[in-house]
Amino acid sequence: MTLLTSLTVAVLFGSGAFLVLKHDLIRVVVGMVLISNAANLFIMSAGLTTGREPIHPLPATETIADPLVQAMTLTAIVIGFGVAALLLSLVYRVYTSHLTVDLTTLGEAEERAEAALELEAQRDMDVEEAGLLFARPERERE
Amino acid sequence: MTQHLLNPAGLLLVVALLAAPTAALAGLRRPSWAGIVGASMAGLAFGLAAWGWRAGGDRIDVAWAPTWDLRLSFALDGLAVLYALLATGIGALVLIYASRYVPLHLEHQHRPHTDEIRFHAFLLLFMGGMVGLVMAQDLVLIFVFWDLTAIASYYLIGFDRHEAEARASALMAMLVTGISAVCLLIGAMLLYADYGTFALPELFARAESSPSVTTAGALMAIAALAKSAQAPLHFWLPRAMAAPTPVSAYLHSAAMVAAGVFLLSRLYPLLARSDLLLDGLLTIGFLSMAVGGILALTREELKQVLAYSTISQYGYVVVMLGLGGTYGTAGAAFYVVAHALAKSALFLTAGAVTEATGEKRLAALGGLWRRMPLLAAASGAAAAGLAALPLTVGFFKDELFFVAALKRGPVFAALALVGAALSLAYVGRFWIGIFLGRSRAEAQPIPTALVAPVVVLGVLVIAGGIVVEPVTDLAASAGAVTYGSPTPIHPAYHLDARPENLLAVGAWALGAFLLVARPIWVGVALAVARLGERIGPARGYRLLLGGLNRFSDRIHAIEVRDLRSRVATVLVPAAVLVGAGVLVTPTRDQFLVGGVRGADLPLLLVLLLTAIAGVATCVPRDHLSMALVLSSVGYCLAVVYAFSGAPDVALVAVLIETIFALLFLGVLALLPRQVLRYESFRAVGTRRGLRDAFVATITGGFAFVVVWGVLSRPSPQQSVIVEQADLTPAAHGKDIVTVILADFRGLDTMGEITVIAIALVGLAGLLQRGRLR
Repeated sequence: MTLLTSLTVAVLFGSGAFLVLKHDLIRVVVGMVLISNAANLFIMSAGLTTGREPIHPLPATETIADPLVQAMTLTAIVIGFGVAALLLSLVYRVYTSHLTVDLTTLGEAEERAEAALELEAQRDMDVEEAGLLFARPERERE
Repeated sequence: MTQHLLNPAGLLLVVALLAAPTAALAGLRRPSWAGIVGASMAGLAFGLAAWGWRAGGDRIDVAWAPTWDLRLSFALDGLAVLYALLATGIGALVLIYASRYVPLHLEHQHRPHTDEIRFHAFLLLFMGGMVGLVMAQDLVLIFVFWDLTAIASYYLIGFDRHEAEARASALMAMLVTGISAVCLLIGAMLLYADYGTFALPELFARAESSPSVTTAGALMAIAALAKSAQAPLHFWLPRAMAAPTPVSAYLHSAAMVAAGVFLLSRLYPLLARSDLLLDGLLTIGFLSMAVGGILALTREELKQVLAYSTISQYGYVVVMLGLGGTYGTAGAAFYVVAHALAKSALFLTAGAVTEATGEKRLAALGGLWRRMPLLAAASGAAAAGLAALPLTVGFFKDELFFVAALKRGPVFAALALVGAALSLAYVGRFWIGIFLGRSRAEAQPIPTALVAPVVVLGVLVIAGGIVVEPVTDLAASAGAVTYGSPTPIHPAYHLDARPENLLAVGAWALGAFLLVARPIWVGVALAVARLGERIGPARGYRLLLGGLNRFSDRIHAIEVRDLRSRVATVLVPAAVLVGAGVLVTPTRDQFLVGGVRGADLPLLLVLLLTAIAGVATCVPRDHLSMALVLSSVGYCLAVVYAFSGAPDVALVAVLIETIFALLFLGVLALLPRQVLRYESFRAVGTRRGLRDAFVATITGGFAFVVVWGVLSRPSPQQSVIVEQADLTPAAHGKDIVTVILADFRGLDTMGEITVIAIALVGLAGLLQRGRLR
């Protein structure tokens, strides 16, 4: 049982990692969700005992499932949902400002922006050296 | 030992550190007040330092971080008094000068006059850092104030921040003195590792001569020598002349470069544990004397001449510390005072002359004594002081230097003679070039505040040459701190043929010859200067900086611009490390397969289904199918939870999975069809796909090893489960999980709700209509 559970966690984690490496930001989010699913399953199966559901009245003869990991998994699921939802809306925001959700395209756009910025800084420096940028209006100079 | 701040030491420290904020506040009210208030604060600090000296020094010692054994321990001992008097006294004069100079400077450059506040505030911050540094009795405190001076100097040197040259110079000074400061920290750490304390008095008492003390001493000496602009780390100082003149007058004569030799004097008891270190100081000192002296003779720009002369003259001080002994240590202290007075006067002269004539170069100046007789006389006194002529305090600095050198041997005396001759030659050239000869430049009248400080300093240089006792007392008490026992020195005029007098006469003769015979040697000196530019350390600095810049660009390109590579660079090394860890640890009986009972069969089947769904998520091209398969993973997991005796988790999982699926579909609906289509049918190179699959496999493998290893070793401790099961009825609940969430760990749940609320707010903001940009 231990071996099989571990294998399932590993498969979920590996699939998640595969998707995180994609160009497509939506797939990256899906990968993150899979990884957090793997983590949830891992926490759940780390319980010290297995058995009946931990609800009173407790069974007299059988063991109960570890309630603590259940509480933790619950928390983890909800937090994981919050993170995934935020990531999805971030992807949407990236689309609205760049009209793409592709990492390669985004990277190229960033490089272009950076080059433009450097060019601008160069130009500013030329202006500065010409002493134009610091020529303030007369009233400020007193 | 006093615990309160109401003693000269405490008051001096407080006033010096409060000077910068006070001046800045005054400047906010009216910019011109910053300089006046700052100068008064510096004057007050000077008075306190003098009071402390008369009171015989005092100390403060307050616990800072007791758990780390750190204390705020400061002492106003002889060494601290000397440097504090210099920093505050010359600071006050320079601030008076600057309060007239900086407004003119800003007017020339058409900058707002509010920039003046920044200038005074940083100058005073530097002064505060300097006072703290000289009083600190703890290596950590020394490091903190050391860096404070470096930061203040960065802003002061780069004060003309619209000029690329000023910015580059400020960066160079910051990097050279800042990176070498790390050596100071490493040295302090080495000593701490050996002796378990940062406190200097304890270190001096306990340190032995061992290789690790020598290493620590060498590292700390590197920091000090870089700060004092000693060869081969001297190149930042001439560049730093891009700073406005008051900055050069203060930082590069009395404060920043003096901090380096101060540190050497402070740590002398440690350095003296090793003859190797003292010999190293001698070598570097003589090298700097030669490099600075020769280059000073070749420079044309006023401040460049002074910058190289500073390198050369701090070389003297380093040599004296290397010579050691009574005369070496006290002589070094004496030299610093004499040099600081004279050199700051010359820097201020250079600024006043440039302000009056608009000229910066020696060749364009001359004959100014007719226009500015007072300035000529005052700076003449200062120049005579540097050149060690009689009736100035400078005469005695060379006398002490010669005595210290003679004690070591004739070779050292000869080298000292050449050094002294060089300094007479370049100082003479500087002063004669400006004030004597044919008039070449027109001089405008300049404000009194630009001349008065020079006059004060010139008078001090002459007064010290007539009544030398105060300076001698100061130097002797500083030398006693450095040397560890009293250092009585007796500089005086002796009208006889004793060796140091002969050396002085020889130095004057040689210096005068160098002045007159300039055409003979100038070609050689220029060739040396050119060679230095070609292969000197400044070139190494440029190459290193350029290389580092390119290296960082490359890392940036690899790591930051490509999210996927970054993820892979985290995952793969982590996996490899885990694999290596598993390989080297014994694994027998550490991994349990775990039995499968008949009742587990449904759970097993759902687990299989989950794994299949997980892999299937990677397959579909279109996003809708992918979203659905992803949901199926979540629902399968919910069933797994249901079979594991966790109905609460299963219910929540179903609920969350449903909401998330709806949200996912909603976002997909918001994105235009062609964007999704582009992503779905985008070609991925085979190599890329293989690489991704490889990384995923390795990562999955590492997750498998970790998870299996953890799950195989459940701890036998179960008391928590029993306890929680027993307590649940008392919390008026039946479901243990619910009670844990709502009661036992209610605060966690509260935090969780907060996280979700924040995520919701962020989501609402991000999904608002309308494009950014």
